[in-house]
Amino acid sequence: MIVVDDVYKRYMTGHGAGKWILQGVSFTIPPKVNVGLIGGNGAGKSTLLRIIGGIDVPTRGHVQRNCRVSWPMGFGGGLQGSLTGRQNAKFVCRIHGHEDDIPERIAFIQEFAELGDSFDEPVNTYSSGMKARLQFGLSLAFDFDVYISDEVTATGDAAFRKKAAAAFSKLTDQAGLIMVSHGEGTLKQFCQAGIWLNEGKAYWFDDINHALKAYKEFLT
Amino acid sequence: MTTARTSTHIAFSVWKALFLREAVSRISTGRAAWLWLLVEPVVHVVFLLFVFITIRMRTVGGIETAVWLLAGMLAFLMFRRTASRTQNAVSANQGLFAYRQVRPIDTVLVRAALEGFLMMMVALILFNGAALFGVDVLPDDPLAVLEAFFGLWLVGVGFGLMASVGGELIPELNKLLGFIMMPMYLISGVIFPIASVPQPYREWLILNPVAHGIEAARLGFATYYHAVPELSIAYVYSFALVAVFLGLALHVRYQTRLIAR
Repeated sequence: MIVVDDVYKRYMTGHGAGKWILQGVSFTIPPKVNVGLIGGNGAGKSTLLRIIGGIDVPTRGHVQRNCRVSWPMGFGGGLQGSLTGRQNAKFVCRIHGHEDDIPERIAFIQEFAELGDSFDEPVNTYSSGMKARLQFGLSLAFDFDVYISDEVTATGDAAFRKKAAAAFSKLTDQAGLIMVSHGEGTLKQFCQAGIWLNEGKAYWFDDINHALKAYKEFLT
Repeated sequence: MTTARTSTHIAFSVWKALFLREAVSRISTGRAAWLWLLVEPVVHVVFLLFVFITIRMRTVGGIETAVWLLAGMLAFLMFRRTASRTQNAVSANQGLFAYRQVRPIDTVLVRAALEGFLMMMVALILFNGAALFGVDVLPDDPLAVLEAFFGLWLVGVGFGLMASVGGELIPELNKLLGFIMMPMYLISGVIFPIASVPQPYREWLILNPVAHGIEAARLGFATYYHAVPELSIAYVYSFALVAVFLGLALHVRYQTRLIAR
């Protein structure tokens, strides 16, 4: 269960405090519920994901995580360019305390990412699709109660997208998911509930279709 | 894994992972990366030795020039490498803060540990190398040498802890610190004995803890070395402890600002 309680967020800019991005966001995500985050560009979706994931802190308010939450997957974060895919994978295994079964997890990541020989090449030689494969494989190699995904299914070629979608639906059967996506199909496929972010406020919908409807009505 | 890990457990696994990762990129990325760790002090020492031989200075302050230069150079690099590597630790590892287990302070401490470890290796190799050339490198007081090196490392860590926060919050500060680091080589007495500077000016030079550490290292090699009379190893450690404390405090205070871009 994740409790977001009255969260406010603004970033410091070059000239003092910026504008409020989140203004009093509160909701509770029950265990094993898949939530889609929707809203326009710059509405604060990624910011909210980072705060939930614990890699950023709210300016006011707080977030309670009573479960194991993954790091926000997607968009090239968390990989060191000068190291190979394998070395990056080992690093992530180690910080998650899986020192003992590194070989098994590496094997899983290697198989899932299907990078071939490139797995032993430095990550900065990868294309963005290859990076996404590696990141996706990495996040699937660990058991979390809640996975946080920032548009991660939208990357890669058709074959990989299909594979990723299959892995995702298998995952969402046993764990929770909080995802940001601009693809309506993706949201409907994976999420039951929805959160619509608009002008710093969050609106919770028990049904993702209602959330999408509210969003679209607002746009028209 | 069903039970939650304790904070200590998490910190240790993060340190281990970061250490191995930093070690790999420091030692094995690029062509013979490890070789350059050795080449820098060797080139400096050989060049200076050549200069000293040309002006026929066979001893400095009573000890052999080669020992004087080697001890001073390695002691100085112990400080400078630790300081400059830790100073950049946070900005160089920005990508890793995507994992909430990794905190900015971890990257600084791990780089400090790695740099200290590598410098000890470099020092051992170079002293052994010098011994092969017939230089008498056996220190009279090995513990005093270790004490001096450790003190300089600690000063470097303190500097890095403060500079890593300061440089992130005020980017211009990195440039100012660059101005300080540049003449450091000169004013720390690596290439001339501080003791030879006349009094009204020596008072100023001796405020620099690195100068104390370097002289202490030389004194450890030969107890008859004419070190600068104001030498105080306690000054090095007091300076280092204050700097480390302030640095840690800054990290605690500004941790979120460092992560949140």
